[in-house]
Amino acid sequence: MKFSSLNECTMAITDDDIIQAMKHIPGYLDITPSDFMEVYRLAFSHAMSRLKNAIKAEQIMTRSVIAVSEDTPLTQVIKKMAENNISGLPVVKDGQTVSGIISEKDFLKRMNDDKTSSFMRVILQCIESKGCLAADFKTLVAADIMSSPCITTLPKTPVTEVAGIMDQENINRVPVIDDKLKLVGIIARSDIVQTMC
Amino acid sequence: MLFFSKMKGGGQSPPSVAFSEIAWSWVGAFLGITPVAFLHYNLFSGDDLVYIIGSFGASAVLIYGAVRSPLAQPRNLVGGHVISALIGVIAYKLFYPFPWFASSVAVATSIAVMHATKTLHPPGGATALIAVIGSDKIHDLGFFYVFIPVGVGVLIMLAVALIVNNLAKSRKYPEFWF
Repeated sequence: MKFSSLNECTMAITDDDIIQAMKHIPGYLDITPSDFMEVYRLAFSHAMSRLKNAIKAEQIMTRSVIAVSEDTPLTQVIKKMAENNISGLPVVKDGQTVSGIISEKDFLKRMNDDKTSSFMRVILQCIESKGCLAADFKTLVAADIMSSPCITTLPKTPVTEVAGIMDQENINRVPVIDDKLKLVGIIARSDIVQTMC
Repeated sequence: MLFFSKMKGGGQSPPSVAFSEIAWSWVGAFLGITPVAFLHYNLFSGDDLVYIIGSFGASAVLIYGAVRSPLAQPRNLVGGHVISALIGVIAYKLFYPFPWFASSVAVATSIAVMHATKTLHPPGGATALIAVIGSDKIHDLGFFYVFIPVGVGVLIMLAVALIVNNLAKSRKYPEFWF
């Protein structure tokens, strides 16, 4: 969300637009077009900052989070992700606090010698017959491949801020934790897209 | 019922102004009315030309108190007073045997003409009215009423507004000239 570029849209309104609008309203208006322009600009940026903070993380997060614990075997993690058709899930410790997050990216990283983990690179590796490295997934547990520590957010954080974090950190989901660090929800990129519409 | 529901208002009143705005309004009005009142009391001492001061008091509210209003701009201030003064004098000359009628014609017509010429300035209504309800001395001025006291007084008030309103950091005057 680039709100700065949205703000520039307001520049698109011209003095002539305002004069035309004033002509629409019957009766004498005790305001000059330039004063109206100033009021409009300030009101618009005020509205933008209000809307920016209007929707909080807790309003759009998924509350029934599909999660695994640190010692869950990867085979089960894979099964869970496949069955629920999700591309990532948080890893919790003691059934409560978030200790990391596992996404497709972490699997790709593991299947790759290279640190740059793209799906295509994994395929390339397979084609060049260096062997597909999915084998050791059978022996590993969630804690072995999870990204940790992971970025989390709070229920009262504005959604726009969460979107900014996703954009900056290039991640697709952010677990939501309460003040006792307990996992209470998760926000995926798609949740935010739905909010914006 | 629409007629009565219109009377409910329903809008919000605008926020109040800062203290500096109040202070500048006071300073402007004080400096603007001082020379005009001084001239009237000393040049026309004992003369009921001082009537016109009432009209200028109303102008002071606008040009020192509501600087950004279209009603307070030079076009409106000068145009509104001069046009209304002219209409007031004409109304008196045409209908002086019926002063009540001359009064209403003067005010109503000056509002209409101010609208038509984009010079609406509320105190203009008073200026037009005074041309009718004033004493014989005002009536004897004839069309000279348009220049003195009206024209001169207005120009003094305008000069003060240009100086005071532009000294204030938060103010700019005028928004437009014509």
